[in-house]
Amino acid sequence: MPKEVSPARVAATAAATRVPLPRNGAERIARAVTMPVTRFAAANIALDMEIEPATFVAVQRKDAQS
Amino acid sequence: MSDPSALSLAELAAAIRRRKVSSAEATRAMLARIKTTQRRINAFARIEPDEAMKAARAADRALANGKIRGPLHGVPLAHKDMYYVTGKLAECGSKIRKGWVAPATATALMRLEGAGALRIGALNMVEFAFGPTGHNPHTGHVRNPWNRAHITGGSSSGSGAAVAARLVPAALGSDTGGSIRLPAHFCGVTGLKPTNGRVSRANAMPLSFTLDTVGPLARTAEDCGLVAAAIMGPDPLDPTTDGAPPWDAQGAQRSTRNMTIGVPRSFYVDDLETDVDKALDDAIAVFRKLGARIVQVELPDQMLVSAAALIVIAVEALTTHAPWLRTRAKDYSDQVRNRLLNGSAYSAVEYLEALRWRGPALAAHLAAIGNCDAILVPTCRSVAPTIEETDVGGGANAEAVILGVTRFMRPVNYLGLPALTVPAGFGKGGLPIGLQLIGRPFRDETLVALGAAFQGATDYHRRAPALP
Repeated sequence: MPKEVSPARVAATAAATRVPLPRNGAERIARAVTMPVTRFAAANIALDMEIEPATFVAVQRKDAQS
Repeated sequence: MSDPSALSLAELAAAIRRRKVSSAEATRAMLARIKTTQRRINAFARIEPDEAMKAARAADRALANGKIRGPLHGVPLAHKDMYYVTGKLAECGSKIRKGWVAPATATALMRLEGAGALRIGALNMVEFAFGPTGHNPHTGHVRNPWNRAHITGGSSSGSGAAVAARLVPAALGSDTGGSIRLPAHFCGVTGLKPTNGRVSRANAMPLSFTLDTVGPLARTAEDCGLVAAAIMGPDPLDPTTDGAPPWDAQGAQRSTRNMTIGVPRSFYVDDLETDVDKALDDAIAVFRKLGARIVQVELPDQMLVSAAALIVIAVEALTTHAPWLRTRAKDYSDQVRNRLLNGSAYSAVEYLEALRWRGPALAAHLAAIGNCDAILVPTCRSVAPTIEETDVGGGANAEAVILGVTRFMRPVNYLGLPALTVPAGFGKGGLPIGLQLIGRPFRDETLVALGAAFQGATDYHRRAPALP
C-alpha cells in the first residue's frame, strides 16, 4: 500500500496525459493527491467483477422504487 | 405594495399573478438594487436592463390579457454565468472563455422561461466552477453581503451573494463538490443540490460529467421547490435524466410528523465551531418539536467516500480542460490551474475503480441510514473565513483550506444524493450558519418538505444583511 505519492510517479502519469507540468509541479501535486490515493488504496476494495460504473444508477433507482 | 425585493420567490410570483405588483415594477426595483450594490458585492457578471424590462413589460401585457405563462410568470431571475443562452456571452468566470458566445440554450433556462421567469443578467462565479471559496482573480471576488471581508463560498458565489443581498429572489447554481451548498451556508440562503440525474445539464458548462448537478439557491425551501418543479424531469439532450421523475408537488408538502431524521455519530459532528455545534443541536430540537423521530446513525467511512469523489472530479475536470491546459495554461488562475493539474496524478485504474465503487458505496450508505428520510448534518465546520485567511493565490496552504471547507460536501456528490442547505443560525461575527438535510435518491421533495417545516418554525431565512 503506498504511504505517499512520489513526484516521480506524478511526473510519469502527467507525461501520459500530455499536459505539461510547471517547475516543481510534480512535488506539489504529489503532496495534494496523497490523501485520496493512499486512503483509497488502503481500503483495498475488492469489487465483484460484474460491478460497473452504471451499477450506481441501478442502486439509485432501486431505492427510489422501494 | 412593499418593496418587491423583500419578497420571497413564492410571494413575488403570487403578487405578480394577483397584479399587486407588476413584473415591470419588480424588475425595475431589482435593477435599482443591483445598481446600488454591484460595486460593493460584485455579484453580477453582466446586467441586462433593457432586455429584462422589455420581457417584464411583455409579461405584464400577457397578464392583462389573461395569459399566465406558468408559476413564475414575470419573475426576474439571474443565473450563474455557466448556463448558455443562444447568442449570448457565457464566460464561465474565465479568461479562456472571455467573449465566448453560446450556440445553444441550457435546458434548465428554457424550462424556467417556460414557467414564465425572465432573466435580468448573469452572475459571477469561480473560474470554470472549480473552487469552493468564491474567489476569482479574472472577474474580481464576489463579496459576502454579511461582511465583505469574508468569503461567499463557491463556486456559485454570485448566486449566493445575489440571493442573500435580495438582488434576485432565486438563482441557478451548480454543485459538483459543494458549489450550491457552500454559498448557501456562507451567505445565509437556502440551496438545493438535486439527485444526480434529475435535472438536465444540457448546455450548461461541464466540470465533472459524473458529478455535476444543476440546482437553485433561494431564500426558502419552498422557493427551491418552485424552481425544482420547473426544471426537473427527463431531457433527451441529457441521457442521465432518462426516466427521471417530474417534481412531485404533494411530496414536497408531506408532513414531517413521523418522518425519521438520522444524525451521524461521527465525522459530521467532529471538531465543529461551537456555534455550528449549537445550531445543529437547536435544529434537532426543532425537528423533534415538529414530530420527526431523531435517530443516531453510523455512516460508512466518509473520508474514503471523499477520497473516491476527489479522484473522480480531479480526473474528469482535467480531461475536460486538457486541450486548453496544453495550449493556454497561463490563462488559468494559479489556484484553478493547480487544482486541474492534480488530476494528472491518477492512473486509469484508480479512476475506474473509484467509478465502479460508486454503486456499492451508495448501497452501503442506504443500508446504514435504514429507514431515515434524511440525515441532518452541518454544511461546514465554521462560518465564512475571511478572504485573507483563505489562500486565494493557490499557495502552499490552498489545498488544506479547500479540503477543510469541502469536508462535509463530497460524499453527497459521490453518492449522487439530494441535499438541501437551510439557514439555521448565526455564529462568530454574526455570520450565517447553514445545515444540510441529505436525502434519499430521487426524494428531493422530502427535503423541501423538511426544510419548509423547519423554516415555518424558525426565522433565520428571513434575516437579511444590512447592505454595505
